[in-house]
Amino acid sequence: MVFILGINFPEQRFVQKTLQHFYGIGPQVSRHLLARLHIHPTARLSSLNSQTVLDINAELSGMKIENELRRELRENIRRLRDMGTYRGRRHAMGMPVRGQRTRTQTVTAGKFNRTNRLG
Amino acid sequence: MSLQTCWRCLARGSNQPHPTRWPPQQPWNLYPSLTAAFTTSSSLSALPPKKKSKSPMLETNVKGAKKTFVKKTKKRQKTDSSKRPEVGERRALRKRIVLSNTNALEVEGLKDINAQLMIDESLRGQVLGIPGPVVDQLRAVEAFKVKQGWPLFRRPAMLMRKDTLDMATEIENISLGIRDKTIRRVFVGERGSGKTTMLLQAMTMAFLKGWVVINVPEAQDLILGHTEYGPLPSTNPTLYTQRTYTASLLNAISRANPILQDLQLSQPPPRTELPIPVPPNISLSQLAHLGAQDPEIAWPIFELLYRELTLPDRPPLLLCMDGLAHAMRNTHYISNTYQPIHAHQFTLINWFLSHLSGESPLPNAGLVLAATSESNSPPVPSLTLALAQLEGNAAVQKNPFATYDARVLGVFEQGGVQVRRVGGLCKQEARGLMEYWARSGVVRQRVDEGFVGEKWSLSGGGCVGELERAVVRMRV
Repeated sequence: MVFILGINFPEQRFVQKTLQHFYGIGPQVSRHLLARLHIHPTARLSSLNSQTVLDINAELSGMKIENELRRELRENIRRLRDMGTYRGRRHAMGMPVRGQRTRTQTVTAGKFNRTNRLG
Repeated sequence: MSLQTCWRCLARGSNQPHPTRWPPQQPWNLYPSLTAAFTTSSSLSALPPKKKSKSPMLETNVKGAKKTFVKKTKKRQKTDSSKRPEVGERRALRKRIVLSNTNALEVEGLKDINAQLMIDESLRGQVLGIPGPVVDQLRAVEAFKVKQGWPLFRRPAMLMRKDTLDMATEIENISLGIRDKTIRRVFVGERGSGKTTMLLQAMTMAFLKGWVVINVPEAQDLILGHTEYGPLPSTNPTLYTQRTYTASLLNAISRANPILQDLQLSQPPPRTELPIPVPPNISLSQLAHLGAQDPEIAWPIFELLYRELTLPDRPPLLLCMDGLAHAMRNTHYISNTYQPIHAHQFTLINWFLSHLSGESPLPNAGLVLAATSESNSPPVPSLTLALAQLEGNAAVQKNPFATYDARVLGVFEQGGVQVRRVGGLCKQEARGLMEYWARSGVVRQRVDEGFVGEKWSLSGGGCVGELERAVVRMRV
């Protein structure tokens, strides 16, 4: 098991996939991170030495990911609502924000468009 | 008296059929008959009677005679109880190299190649067996390839063709000290012409002569982006090392070259160069083994080993690389600025190409051989152009619309690289090879002038791969 940012990952997992576990890191960011640390794309966690694991941890801890990013997202929505903008109101109502129809198909909007959005 | 003439058609009414007469008209029927129309097709080919369609999802409701939806019962899913292959098992099967076939006949009187025999011109067109210890050495440097026809025979053997004998003479001359310059050569030729096998033959003869062989079996492995890499400190432009690959190469070197056990380290390296203490008077084989065990120090050890091998009174070197085109383009590795890294920025490729270009000559002489591939080759216009120019092929001109890589052209700029086209076998060589096949039991026909001529023509003038395909592999 390899310990990255407080989470244990199995050793046979790809490093690129492992990084994508964190909220805010997708395929693009993950590839850039690997390139910065000179880790090849098919590397598994088992092949990393302890220094590289430390480097990954250091890189990740300097990034705005997980709860910090979620908080930023929520603050952005709250700001819109507090200003009383249309987008803010739509978020508060759980309705589509960007001009979509509301006659049908607003389930996704209902799920995501909240003032306290989870992420 | 009734009239004989029909009032309708004014034709003469008669019981006899008349050629001009229309067939009697059928009366118009409100209900057409249920019998099938006349057909000439047999009853067997008739369509089966339609079954009454009954959807399983629909069932009549007794109460209101209404159709109601009944959920289809889920079928039990079959669980796969077969055994899954182990990790790496399929790869091992794919990469397995079989060098012996007990079903093949043992060839009577098959001579083995040896250091004295290999320059004998009279052996041209004969097949010679590769001695067992050399087979192990060749296996260690991965000179055998999976797609070659080794599993068809009892043991590995090779054909002494003209190019082989030429190379044998060169190896002999270098060993005797008659020639002290490094020969740098690139083998080109059509698919299946024997470029990789030429490398194998060179390695065989070098092992027999007691040379040290360093072989990069596939340049593609160095650029695919599946081994570890890292920048080499204080280099500009940045060079990158591949520590795992270098470690495995060191392992291959130490296993394949038993001569390294007799060579000793001349002086211990300074501590600034190697982070670990190296015992004095260690053999070069042990030194290579040290690097093979620890990938972190593999590259410094490789450099040290190479420096030791180029000291005076060391054996000549044979450096080989297959699939040269892969080493001439951008790799799949990415730099820390998210730019693709060029193959020439990798230390191993850079090291090999510096020898191929003549930038760093081998002090104890030797051979630097590379082979292109026609079946697995990325398009590299710069390499194609450079090789064609060196070969003297005026038909290949610089394309104004193509982009040329100055680094690739720079490798061949200095000159001195021989481009050797591996062509087809002559009929005498083809006959020798076919006779060996016949004696191994893979050819059942009588090998005579007509058979050899036919197959030689079929193979496009003696291209070995095609010859094997036409004679051994094809079953009509």
